[in-house]
Amino acid sequence: MSDFLRIMENEVQIVALSFMAIVYIIRLLWMFHFAAAQELTTPVGDTRVGISYSMLNVVMPWTMESTRTHWPFYIQFVIFHLAVIMGISATFIIPYWPGLFKLNSVVIMFQIVLAAATVVGILRLIRRMTNPVMRLISTPDDYFSLVLMTLFFASGVFAVPNTYEVSEWPLILFFIMTTFFLIYVPFSKISHYLYYPFTRYFLGKTMGHRGVFPRKTGGELPAGLK
Amino acid sequence: MSEKSINILDVVNLPLDIKEHEKAVEENIPSVKEGNLKIYNPDGDNVKKLLTLLKAKLSRQVVGSMVGCVHCGMCTESCHYALARPDDPTMAPAYKADQIRRIFKKHFDWTGKIVPWWVHAGDPKDDEELNRLKNIVFGTCTGCRRCTLNCPMGVDTATLIRLTRGLLAELGIVPEGVFQVSRDQWETGNQMAVSEEDYLDTIEWMEDESQDELEDPSLKIPIDKEDCDFMYTVNPREIKYDPRSLGAAAKIFHLAGESWTMPKWGWDMTNFGLFSGDDKLGGFVARNLYEAAKRLRARRIVISECGHGYRSSRWEGYNWGKYKQDLPSESVLITLIRYINEGRIKVDPSKNSLPITFHDSCNIARSGDLTEEPRWLLHRLCTDFREMHPNRADNFCCTGGGGALSMVEYKPLRMEVAKIKADQLTATGAKVVCTICHNCIDGLTDVIKHYKLDMKVVQILELVENALVLPEK
Repeated sequence: MSDFLRIMENEVQIVALSFMAIVYIIRLLWMFHFAAAQELTTPVGDTRVGISYSMLNVVMPWTMESTRTHWPFYIQFVIFHLAVIMGISATFIIPYWPGLFKLNSVVIMFQIVLAAATVVGILRLIRRMTNPVMRLISTPDDYFSLVLMTLFFASGVFAVPNTYEVSEWPLILFFIMTTFFLIYVPFSKISHYLYYPFTRYFLGKTMGHRGVFPRKTGGELPAGLK
Repeated sequence: MSEKSINILDVVNLPLDIKEHEKAVEENIPSVKEGNLKIYNPDGDNVKKLLTLLKAKLSRQVVGSMVGCVHCGMCTESCHYALARPDDPTMAPAYKADQIRRIFKKHFDWTGKIVPWWVHAGDPKDDEELNRLKNIVFGTCTGCRRCTLNCPMGVDTATLIRLTRGLLAELGIVPEGVFQVSRDQWETGNQMAVSEEDYLDTIEWMEDESQDELEDPSLKIPIDKEDCDFMYTVNPREIKYDPRSLGAAAKIFHLAGESWTMPKWGWDMTNFGLFSGDDKLGGFVARNLYEAAKRLRARRIVISECGHGYRSSRWEGYNWGKYKQDLPSESVLITLIRYINEGRIKVDPSKNSLPITFHDSCNIARSGDLTEEPRWLLHRLCTDFREMHPNRADNFCCTGGGGALSMVEYKPLRMEVAKIKADQLTATGAKVVCTICHNCIDGLTDVIKHYKLDMKVVQILELVENALVLPEK
């Protein structure tokens, strides 16, 4: 392994990761400096149950009409975000647990998911460019973030075999992408995962307090009989 | 203006009508004098003022919704405006919310501050653009919150729309109808400017009618009676246009042997602050209600059938008015369930034999807590109940929500997008649609008339009254 690749896999990643962590901490402090709205009413439902229900909606596609009636879109979402987790995991596995990628089955599993996510990325890009609503609401950041993610997945497909002795270029490309990714993400829409717990928590808190979450589907005992 | 379908460009170009502003200034009415009702000032630096107001109104919850949108477009198919106008991308909830989000990004988001074009951040240039913003947030959204509940990120778009409405209300940049109703509620404490004399006369009239119908002179509609089990609050529409619901309630409470009262002041449970986005107005109206109950030492507040009234009085009003809830408050539906369950009143479902469907009010199903209660009642009040689809928190708006009924300039668009509701109603095959909201009554009546549906609209109180089994004398 060349010194360049070794530095890219280790020191550069640690610096970039630290940068991202610092920016995120500042971002969280910024979020917290806004006062939270106070709730002065007596509850009907259970706030904690509402919060849990809201946070877990990501794994309960049947609870929202938008996912319940658009299964292909939800499957795309799962593949895309699974690939995010696997891609990020790969940036740690390659330098710190290379033995895992000696297992052919693991490599193939990573490659399948990352390749599928690359296809999903392309499909999403086409949707964003051709659907009039998506075109209207999309910003350059939306396009760039999607392209960036798709390229990251694609580069991951070639990087996970970790065969630097054959060719270092797939790994160099993957880690350059990762570095850029770590620095750019806090300033882009990709950082939505940082806000996800907040938005879902707030919605779940309000709706749980009011008894709207968990969503009623019939058969629940009406108030007045409880 | 013609009632035929209009293009969104016609909507966004509707000018600001300030005739009523000028009249209010000329008459020097108290709400203007005290600075509660905001008047549009064409010479004021309104864009700058908007930014200052925005900064003051940002809560952690609002900021979460500002930064959380990933522009996935999933909200589009949850919005009846967007569904009814698939070729008009400006109807997408994300686009509407982006109109305030872009201003937020320009001033509060790092990327938006440094490279605004990258994230479409920007300021409105002038009052003309603020007027366009007014037309979007008031004219193309009923704040039904369907997009909020369908957003995978949990972004509360309806809250952002209401926030924007509130900012514009502070600048006096609102549709004329919104200005008028806000004025009336500030000036008289109720949104239909019902005078105390008219209020008391109507109650007396309903008392006489109800006594005659039950042939029982002991039936009373008590006013300002202290130490009752509950204080009953109503929608001014019930006093001004349709007092039958008050008569029905009076009869039911009497038959149930209830100890109840209505307040002389603080009886309006509706709240235009919810629609205009004006938290100060919201707090003022809600406090009137809570303080009336306290003054009368009532043990509970019972809220008659009204979607936004229930949401405002039961939920939002305490927070707007910074008033810690000190008394239980409930919808009259819960009171009715208790009566039927305890055998205090008896009902015969065969008296309501026409096929009936139920329309869930947005403010109750998505921002309140009552979806099973009306159904429990309907199953005991009629013989042929037919569920509408989708229903409960997935139901579509009657198209009259968000104060839309007071904004006549947007009616053509409202009627066009009501196609979604009309199709939903038609598919049930019902002859009667029941709702628990006065706005929905008018909204649905408009839909039925416009799409020539063979249906009528009723409320639960009317069905209970009709199904009552009177005790033998």
